[in-house]
Amino acid sequence: MALLDIKNLHANVAGNKILKGINLTINPGEVHAIMGPNGSGKSTLANVLAGNEIYEKTQGKIQFDGADLDDLAAHERARAGLFLAFQYPVEIAGISNMYFLKAAVNAVREHRGEEQLDAMDFLDLIEDKKQVVKIRDDLLGRAVNSGFSGGEKKRNEIFQMAMLEPKLGILDETDSGLDIDALRIVSDGVNALRTPDRSFLVITHYQRLLDYIVPDFVHVMVSGEIVKSGGKELALELENDGYASWAGEEGV
Amino acid sequence: MELQQLRETAAAHFKADGFPTTKDERWRFTDVSRVANTEFSTEWKASNLKFKPLGDYYLVFENGKLSSEKSKIDGLPAGVKVGSIMDHLDPRLGQLSDSQSAFVAANTAGFTDGAFIEIADGVSLDSPIHLIYLADLDGAAFHVRNFISAGKASHVTVIEEYIGQPNTSYWSNAVTELFCADHSNVDHYKIQLESATAFHFQTVEAQLGENVLFSNHSFTLGAALGRNDIRGKLLGEGSEAICNGLYLLKDKQHFDTHLFMDHAVPRCNSHELYKGILDEKARAVFCGRILVQQDAQQTDAVQSNRNLLLSRGVKIHSLPQLEIYADDVKCTHGATVGELDEEALYYLQTRGIDPKQGHAMLTYAFANEVLDEVKSSAVKEYVGRLVQDWLE
Repeated sequence: MALLDIKNLHANVAGNKILKGINLTINPGEVHAIMGPNGSGKSTLANVLAGNEIYEKTQGKIQFDGADLDDLAAHERARAGLFLAFQYPVEIAGISNMYFLKAAVNAVREHRGEEQLDAMDFLDLIEDKKQVVKIRDDLLGRAVNSGFSGGEKKRNEIFQMAMLEPKLGILDETDSGLDIDALRIVSDGVNALRTPDRSFLVITHYQRLLDYIVPDFVHVMVSGEIVKSGGKELALELENDGYASWAGEEGV
Repeated sequence: MELQQLRETAAAHFKADGFPTTKDERWRFTDVSRVANTEFSTEWKASNLKFKPLGDYYLVFENGKLSSEKSKIDGLPAGVKVGSIMDHLDPRLGQLSDSQSAFVAANTAGFTDGAFIEIADGVSLDSPIHLIYLADLDGAAFHVRNFISAGKASHVTVIEEYIGQPNTSYWSNAVTELFCADHSNVDHYKIQLESATAFHFQTVEAQLGENVLFSNHSFTLGAALGRNDIRGKLLGEGSEAICNGLYLLKDKQHFDTHLFMDHAVPRCNSHELYKGILDEKARAVFCGRILVQQDAQQTDAVQSNRNLLLSRGVKIHSLPQLEIYADDVKCTHGATVGELDEEALYYLQTRGIDPKQGHAMLTYAFANEVLDEVKSSAVKEYVGRLVQDWLE
């Protein structure tokens, strides 16, 4: 059974039609990349999947791990194993990263019928997972994303993903604003989290990220539609030709 | 001045002026006619309320009177005097710069008890002195007067805590005078948990000598109607006064905070951070006045008042006032009023945290900035729990 099955998805933001009939199926363990120019609707897709209420789904059906996403609020989707790594992670003053992570991990564990982690077990989990993206201890004690550099914020997103162990990780332009070293750390982190069952949806503008996180499938999104799908070689094709040909076909 | 004379002068003032009305600029947003129109009894009874000491030494006042049985002051180091103000009248008593205030006048004319604390020069007290005021007598008025004197280079932490029996109506009218001698380090906390049907008014005035480090933290959760007047007089160079506060108000609670920081001499700092969380139909008034006198060059004064509104029915009047007569100073102030950050709530939700918990976490985070500044771990932990309970 597919992990994520999107059928004819249409969505609006503030009355504007952004997604115009998206179809996408992701099976367990697959890595899909969505590439496209700015404004094509890539981030909208990510946020519709995550349950951001600013985005209005007007048509279509999204099945995630057997459940209809319409029935699940954002926190229930997260608990069911859907994780969005934000393009712009939010800074939250006054809540330490540790406290926030503990609340998140225990919320997800409760949903899975697992015991709440006590302070010691939680610290063990932190020690184990912080290696994934080489998170420094001082970032754990600081307020969530507050005063973090761009790269630290993105690493913190992947770190959270490692802590929450989702079924599907959606990376929304995780490569934006990263230098080559940070890009490598983040990509290594994602690759370390790949398992036969865990799937990823990697949203990016540039082919560069896909040199590190090698996808099974690549989809090209233009003006709210997937205009072409293929294997990882499609990303290279885009690198050479750009998005102009598809945009041209549509007369944009 | 003799106490008798002090009382008579104050009584005469009170008789002549009476309670302030909303026509008085300083009382524009706080109508105290409910206090003025209530007859309060002078009865007394012991209190049944429970309390938890936050330090090794504590004085317990039952409905305005000191209980020596419930208090504990044995083992105080040499050079520290703690007891009833009725047994230790200091000649400096009543040297407040705002002795005209009706509430102070009523207190001076009629105070029946209060705490006296004197720390000798050079003495440091490691444990806080906790002053606990229990109120569970319907219809009564409690005029409590506290006098705290910190000698040169002394260190002391004093916690005032006002605890009221729910659904009891009374008037708590306190005055605390603090004298902080040169190089002293004084941390003063106030935790106000009066009954939600009570009136609570207090004037705290601190006079600071040279190179003093003074802090005042006021946590307000109780009372139907009340006001804190917190006044600092910086009289010696190189001193620092921190006056922070947090008010958590709901139902129809009305609470007013008037801060006044008087920079009379050069090179002093004053920092004020006041945060409020208001729900239902609560009302808050914040007036922060900083006076920088002509001689007070190189003053560094920062004031901030931030409010979080949890419902549409609340109202806040925030009035920062800078009055600067010196030219080489750094003074800033700011006031904000806002709601919870929707983006932050969404972010928490995408990590599995439900909206109710997210709401509580963000609200607590807002309050936490004030708690972070609290030096006393006992106060920090206790008030942290009070804030959590309030949020639930």
